[in-house]
Amino acid sequence: MTTKNASSEPMIVAKDVCKSYGDFQALKGVSLEVAKGEVVVILGPSGSGKSTFIRSVNFLEQFQSGEIRVENIKVESGEALRQIRQEVGMVFQSFNLFPHLTVIQNITLAPRKVAKLPEEEAKQLARELLHRVGLSAHSEKFPDELSGGQQQRVAIARALAMKPKVMLFDEPTSALDPEMISEVLAVMKELAKSGMTMLVVTHEMGFAREVADRIIFFDEGKIVEATTPQKFFENPSHERSKLFLSQILKR
Amino acid sequence: MTTTPTKAAVPKAQAAPGAHIELGRIFLFLGACAIGFWVFFEILAVVLKYMPEPIGSRADLFSSGAKQTLVLTLTAGVFGLIAGVLAGLGKLSKKPWIRIPTDFYVWIMRGTPLLVQILFMYYAVPALLPWLRLNEFSAACLALALNVGAYNAEVIRAGVQAVPRGQREAAESLGLSSGQTMRWVVLPQAIRIVIPPLVNNIVALLKDSSLASTIGLLELSLAGNRISSETFMPVPVLTTVAAVYLLLTSALSIITHFLEKRLAVGRRN
Repeated sequence: MTTKNASSEPMIVAKDVCKSYGDFQALKGVSLEVAKGEVVVILGPSGSGKSTFIRSVNFLEQFQSGEIRVENIKVESGEALRQIRQEVGMVFQSFNLFPHLTVIQNITLAPRKVAKLPEEEAKQLARELLHRVGLSAHSEKFPDELSGGQQQRVAIARALAMKPKVMLFDEPTSALDPEMISEVLAVMKELAKSGMTMLVVTHEMGFAREVADRIIFFDEGKIVEATTPQKFFENPSHERSKLFLSQILKR
Repeated sequence: MTTTPTKAAVPKAQAAPGAHIELGRIFLFLGACAIGFWVFFEILAVVLKYMPEPIGSRADLFSSGAKQTLVLTLTAGVFGLIAGVLAGLGKLSKKPWIRIPTDFYVWIMRGTPLLVQILFMYYAVPALLPWLRLNEFSAACLALALNVGAYNAEVIRAGVQAVPRGQREAAESLGLSSGQTMRWVVLPQAIRIVIPPLVNNIVALLKDSSLASTIGLLELSLAGNRISSETFMPVPVLTTVAAVYLLLTSALSIITHFLEKRLAVGRRN
């Protein structure tokens, strides 16, 4: 595997993860290792289980069998889960900012209530993060006063405020107008460059190609292909990947 | 830091996300309401005094009845709100030993007449629990609180469920416990949703409090009833009673309308 800055120690280890909703099997034995500092992009058609998998990593989805470990801590309900969730930041397709709180309150809530940071320290941290995502001017606004792209950047800042070791992105640009996608991707690229371990579900092929250390292709609840971006986009080894690419690139 | 030119009402640089300053404001607001009601009753008493017979000479009975009605409503309303929040959250609990009793409570209170509940509380409960001696006011208040609490429970449950699931997921993915998620993320949003239906329940409670007259609590309708049969003049007397009820329900609606605006400091999507 060609990884830019990944050390050998795995950050996330998933073994044979299975999840079903009634009769429907969303995940049929998914195994994956993500190294420290690695950027892994998960591609695949709708309903292939990629979101379900990424949501399993911080246990927003409870899987029925298999095992996921984050920094060697087992992901399961109980005391350890809150610890894991503090170390795993998550960005959602629909932003999920807290509409009753201002931008800065959105960011400081978890540092203050969970990490028990004093107020001034939390605010200072929030201001730094807002600067990092280019939204210093908006700290006192409410989420619904911001554009979608701005909201998503706030959501990234909010997740970063807990100083996570891993960031999960669940289709972060799918709900955005086209012209706002690039501003969010720029923040994500900067984050990748800074050495953050990232697991990204997306349909942005340009981002996948440019930023990913590794592409994981999902179909029907299984990993079909796991390879480098170059190999995946230029010479995919599976029929299903070829079909997916031809349909995506046709647009 | 930068400030936004919009929204003068937005509190700047406050201590806690939302809650603390809002709580302070609410207490201030409740104080203002208490003063408002005191003034209201003073004016009411004067106005009634100058009404023609048979109202004028019995103005004191009318206004003390109206006061009793309001005190009964507000006391039962506060306890009913507490009962409603507890039962509403209880209904949402995953633990069956919490959920089943609360479901049972709501089922009983909503499925039996309030009149029977008041009579039961006054006549049957002391027979069952001889150590528990309830006077007219506490029996009526308890029955009304438990009754409105059951209706509030449904409102609270619906309000909490109306907060999008993504909100809870976002909070929990940040490491907030489920209690913290409820306290800081779900409830502040649910409050905005539940205020209008809760107001409805309070207005209904004020009118329903007239049933306390059946156990001899001298509130507004019993006062009216007595004066009416004393004077054989039901038309002016009962019209006055109805008008005072209307004033009280209107005042409650106006107050809660302002409360709603106060709480809407942050907005919903």
